[in-house]
Amino acid sequence: MALRTLKLEIFRYNPNVSGDKPQMQEYILEEEPDMTLFMALTRLREEQDPSLIFDFSCRAAVCGSCAMLINGRPKLACKTMTKDLRKKITLMPLPVFKLIGDLSVDTGSWFRAMNKRLEAWVHTNKEFDPDAQEGRMDNDLALRIYESERCIECGCCVAGCGTAILREEFISSAGLNRLARFFIDPRDERSPDQYFEVIGNEYGTFGCVGLMACDDLCPMEIPLQQQLAFVRRKMLVAGLTGSGR
Amino acid sequence: MSVPNPYITDVLVIGAGLAGERTAIEAASCGCDVTILSIVPPRRSHSTGAQGGMQASLGNTAMGRGDNTDIHFTDTVKGSDWGCDQDVARLFANLAPVAVRQLSYWGCPWNRVVAGRKTLPDGREIEELVEYEGLIMARDFGGTAKWRTCYTADGTGHTVQYTMDTVVLKMGITVHDRVETLSLIHDGEKCYGAICRCLRTGKLMVYLAKVTVIATGGYGRLYGASTNAIINEGTGMFIALNTGIVPLGNMEAVQFHPTAIVPSWVLITEGARGDGGYLLDKDLHRFMPDYEPAKKELASRDVVSRRMMHHMRIGKGVDSKYGLHLWLDIRHLGRKHIYTNLREIAKVCQDFNGIDPAKELIPVRPTQHYSMGGVRTNIDGAAYGLNGLYAAGEASCWDMHGFNRLGGNSLAETTVMGMVVGRKAAEYVAGTTFIYKESMVRDHIKRQQERINNLIAGRNGKENIYKLKKIMEDALLEKVFIFRNGKDLQEAVNTLREVYQRSLKAGLMSDGQGANPELGAALRLPGMLRLALCIAYGALQRTESRGSHSREDYPKRDDANWLKRTLAYWPEEGDLPVLKYEPVKITELPPGERGYGETAAVKK
Amino acid sequence: MLQRILTHSNKTDLVIDLAELISGFLLVGFLWVHMFFVASVLVGPQAFNQVPKFLEAYYLAQIGIPAVIVLILAHMVLAGRRIPNRLQEMKMIWKHSRLLMHYDTWTWVFQVITGVAIGILAAAHIWTVVSRWTINMSISAERVTQSPYFIFYIILLICGEYHVGIGLYRIGVKWGWFKRQKLSKVLDVITLAIIAMGIVSLFVIKSHAGVTGGGGQ
Repeated sequence: MALRTLKLEIFRYNPNVSGDKPQMQEYILEEEPDMTLFMALTRLREEQDPSLIFDFSCRAAVCGSCAMLINGRPKLACKTMTKDLRKKITLMPLPVFKLIGDLSVDTGSWFRAMNKRLEAWVHTNKEFDPDAQEGRMDNDLALRIYESERCIECGCCVAGCGTAILREEFISSAGLNRLARFFIDPRDERSPDQYFEVIGNEYGTFGCVGLMACDDLCPMEIPLQQQLAFVRRKMLVAGLTGSGR
Repeated sequence: MSVPNPYITDVLVIGAGLAGERTAIEAASCGCDVTILSIVPPRRSHSTGAQGGMQASLGNTAMGRGDNTDIHFTDTVKGSDWGCDQDVARLFANLAPVAVRQLSYWGCPWNRVVAGRKTLPDGREIEELVEYEGLIMARDFGGTAKWRTCYTADGTGHTVQYTMDTVVLKMGITVHDRVETLSLIHDGEKCYGAICRCLRTGKLMVYLAKVTVIATGGYGRLYGASTNAIINEGTGMFIALNTGIVPLGNMEAVQFHPTAIVPSWVLITEGARGDGGYLLDKDLHRFMPDYEPAKKELASRDVVSRRMMHHMRIGKGVDSKYGLHLWLDIRHLGRKHIYTNLREIAKVCQDFNGIDPAKELIPVRPTQHYSMGGVRTNIDGAAYGLNGLYAAGEASCWDMHGFNRLGGNSLAETTVMGMVVGRKAAEYVAGTTFIYKESMVRDHIKRQQERINNLIAGRNGKENIYKLKKIMEDALLEKVFIFRNGKDLQEAVNTLREVYQRSLKAGLMSDGQGANPELGAALRLPGMLRLALCIAYGALQRTESRGSHSREDYPKRDDANWLKRTLAYWPEEGDLPVLKYEPVKITELPPGERGYGETAAVKK
Repeated sequence: MLQRILTHSNKTDLVIDLAELISGFLLVGFLWVHMFFVASVLVGPQAFNQVPKFLEAYYLAQIGIPAVIVLILAHMVLAGRRIPNRLQEMKMIWKHSRLLMHYDTWTWVFQVITGVAIGILAAAHIWTVVSRWTINMSISAERVTQSPYFIFYIILLICGEYHVGIGLYRIGVKWGWFKRQKLSKVLDVITLAIIAMGIVSLFVIKSHAGVTGGGGQ
């Protein structure tokens, strides 16, 4: 495909600079072969506007730093190639998360708070014995845990979720998927009641109205619809049979 | 000048990758108050990018039967080309199984042994035994006598980092993310913490601690082409070097990976060649059998890298806007195999080049991959030169890798070394009282504040930092790469010295207000150039070939003169490091043949 | 927060969610049965006229109609809690949908809009039917021939069936094992079939207008 002249419309706003107003700024950039938005933004910063704020870390679609609205849709910028986009490209920061500046949002703090709220770690009363053999696990179960664990916490599902847009406290798909991972892990000794206590409510599993943008937008292609439905069914049973209030 | 309030903690860990978090966990479980600083949220660290696995001699799989810590030790020492510290390698090999099992206890979903017979890609038949079913599985990795690399599908680094971070969360260890360290606070004898910059607001921050641990990973991004995350700019190493007292060890020891995709330099894992992929040149000729008739594409990383570079040098490379490259061909493996067994490779091809590897050739070339060198420490992880300063992981030169690291030993090192350093740091904390001079802290803040003020005001000059950085990247990539020689290295040193001087006259194009990224880059650049000079100058002085350090003009390993470790110090004045050397500790295994993939032709 | 601690009850949230689900399910059932009753006209005017008799004979009209009204009201309250009611929230969700251009998000927006529309239109529909109780061919035909009424019924039909189809899809997606794409296709076909059946029925009813003696026997 012939290389084009790209027109990038980028959201600019630095909340730390008093008097700054949100606006869209236009940049012109010559496309290069196999250009990704990581390469495009880096060139803009180095050649045209060094004040432009955006986040990249791995630039290989494994760290989840660079999610942004690309032509309105939450995606990872590092693995979005310009040749797959039209000539005019609009870039905006993800909604829901706190804006740091321009295209950078604080997904890190959001996910940390979410993980704390869910107590997203293995709860066990066993002590680790350095001299003992490891506990056994069925490989299929290990792979099932890995299926949820693949989430890179990029925030695309959260930013695409209408419920998360309206309700700040909604735990979102990422949170429910994270919890599903511990629910099926036999090393975690929490009872269904304990899980119900955390997410069996309007801010958790019953807050989801099934818009499924998460399922469609996940860059890791985690089967979120099935994960969410799984959690919902488990929480229904826990709620109806358990002693939680 | 307003002085920020100091934040006080027992153990300050700089870097929240695997090494940093494991250190923090150990120190915290010994009762210390621990604070982790990181330029990105912990789960975005470069550790998450490691796909391969973590070596530990569990011996659960059929192909790892009979494995033990002795064999792991031997592999590690041989791999290092006898450049490693054997006490450290021994400690490491002994602790690695514990580290892997502990991760399992914490929730890491390691792949498990499935009993039954199966056929390997090369046709061999193996049988996994029922008695090992459900225990941690291992895969094959270059340079090891046994299958020893524990893994979780295609995301080992990711799952290990996430598991580690759940423990950090559980223990309530304080993490301050989006914080970049600018310098260490020290008085020439002791380290007292660090001066940092908040990447949300641009404000200066002061952290005071009894122990400071550097765990910032490698410096891959000094090179123009690297598989590393873009945050790997060697910050931890140069803040240590900048003290003038703490040396960096073996900075010339740089590992290159043969196959990164062009032009995003994302890694294509060994799996592609392991399963039977070919390397082709511009005439679509499969050239590896010409050089390595026995191992062909399956020779070790450094050998394949050298052959590829050589082949491109003799005019067989494919020209592109991004320089010369070669082709990786996996089409003959079939669509089904590619999209199941090599899924992660197929994804990289689609995502970063928009190509279908079942139909098209993959453009690849060798790139920088790992830094064996780093902040030189003793076996406890304590840095040379300053009390209360430690280092862990890739940022350190604990020295278990010597001149070449084995695949799977880096993830293992982060965790094992974290265990060791965290404990030693806690012991140090317990035996020390914290007294600091406020004037000393003020001096350090003032120095950093002045650097920032000068850059914003443009008082130093108008040199463009991105242009200087590009010159540095190119110099390293062209002259301090896989093949090295005296002439090129000398030229690189000359170029880097000049660029270093110019970097001191850098100015900003933007206003530098708030969390301005250009200001951050300008603050890092001189330190990065110092590291580049340590690498280039160390390589120039080392007149032998050892591991990944391959001198065309000195093609043989020279144990008589060079069985020693380089220590690079940065002097108060000048633009070259001062190099000193120390002997390498050999306890169990005397120098011998490395014996993998290296045919006589390479060493001539 | 005290107010949260005092009122916190996950079980209530669960019960409300279930109640929304059940009221939705029942209304789906009602609407589909209703449309089959209407479609009885396709068999013939006699069949159509039998329906109210059947309903009355088993007291389904006397109990059924009030029950459906209660059900609709309950569903409006339960499902309505999801609807943004502040202007800024409405703007946020509208802006979000326009930016995202995501099919299932748009269908939800229309689910909300049709839900509100049904609330108004169904009230009018029930009023006109109940205020002149008994249903027969001539009354229905007379009603339908008035053109605003004909359009009114077409709109109500489309809103109702769309709302029901999407509602069922969402229930399936939220609870089920189904593949979304497949579920969506099946429900699309059912919805379109019922709408088509409804429209044809309306035309048939209309064609009976002025045919004296067509009903009331």
